[in-house]
Amino acid sequence: MIRIQQAPFDAGAEQLALCEGRSDIGAVVCFTGLVRDFNEKPDVEALSLEHYPGMTEAALAQIVAEAEQRWPLDGVRLIHRVGRLSPGDAIVLVAVASAHRRAAFEACDFIMDYLKTRAPFWKKEHTRHGDYWVAERTTDKHAARRWETV
Amino acid sequence: MSLTHLNARGEAHMVDVADKQESRREAVAAGSISMRPATLALLAEGGLPKGDVLATARIAGIQAAKRTHELIPLCHQLALSKVSVDFRLDEQRSCVEVTASCRLNGRTGVEMEALTAVSVACLTLYDMCKAVDKDMQIGAIRLLSKTGGKSGDYRRGEAPPSTGPQIVTDDCYSGEVSLGPHADSRSVRVKCLAELRERLGVSELEITLASLARPDVAALKSALKVRDANFALLEEGRILCAVNQVMGGDDTPLTEGDEVAFFPPVTGG
Repeated sequence: MIRIQQAPFDAGAEQLALCEGRSDIGAVVCFTGLVRDFNEKPDVEALSLEHYPGMTEAALAQIVAEAEQRWPLDGVRLIHRVGRLSPGDAIVLVAVASAHRRAAFEACDFIMDYLKTRAPFWKKEHTRHGDYWVAERTTDKHAARRWETV
Repeated sequence: MSLTHLNARGEAHMVDVADKQESRREAVAAGSISMRPATLALLAEGGLPKGDVLATARIAGIQAAKRTHELIPLCHQLALSKVSVDFRLDEQRSCVEVTASCRLNGRTGVEMEALTAVSVACLTLYDMCKAVDKDMQIGAIRLLSKTGGKSGDYRRGEAPPSTGPQIVTDDCYSGEVSLGPHADSRSVRVKCLAELRERLGVSELEITLASLARPDVAALKSALKVRDANFALLEEGRILCAVNQVMGGDDTPLTEGDEVAFFPPVTGG
């Protein structure tokens, strides 16, 4: 299940929903990304997230489909928020269920690495000293590249 | 009239299309899934347990069209230039009408792709709603029209679906794959996103395909630069491009009605 929404989400409820009615799941890894109050500059007061409706959903579906091909998964919930967020707000949720923990850990890590480098989302940070668009990070690119040799 | 997928001995074979002329091909297919009025109401409100039903079914249909060759044995693998899937919620007949259209410049028709998109979108609607309604019925999957190619144009002899009261199918930010007829179908629609939009001061514009030296992205960039020198920004190595929401490059071909988006590297998560 993939959702892009402005509203907040409840990570606990999403994890319960992922496992509801199932007894074959042995591991759930749930990653939540939060808005930090410091990034390229200190004093981040808010964050605006933009996406490309349609293409973003397709890109996320593609990433989840690839994770499902690489690992034996029993379910994935991916929620990404858009719009204006404040420091401390949850911005992204990736919950992955599998029979065994290794697959769940790795698939969750993989989905986040690919999401950060392939899904069309853009962040703009609002600080006390002005607004700026967040630049892409080479560390994110390197992290995504790890999966290409696996 | 003979069946092209059977050879002289009656065996299945794939038609060799190497010598066929390339032409612009387009096909539109439709189908419907009927359900209980209560299910349709839940779908309209977004109250179903599996989440955003229409956005998911739309992506499923688009993905399926791209993979038709994996499902239908004698189908060629095609580089579709456009796939769209649209939904109309019909309260009177208590059903969802699904329409898909596919397009490419190539040597084979795209009706199988459009029919596959409709079929899989309907199946996905079933899957997303089956928790609350197992009586749903998928039906009337059919080709509506087909243009281009040697066998000529085809249009099904039926009245267009009644344009009764239409329920808004989705929130604009949750899965719109902008398709549907544009004001001027001879144009290409250009979108600039995020930081690029702010630097250029341009969000969206249309440019006629005829005004390009060649129908591709490189020629589109050149034409934009003639219009406004600031579009030189598009030549920055970091600026990316998507045609009909699929990543592309300078040599990606363009056809009428295409949507071309330019944007900086992504920074989500």
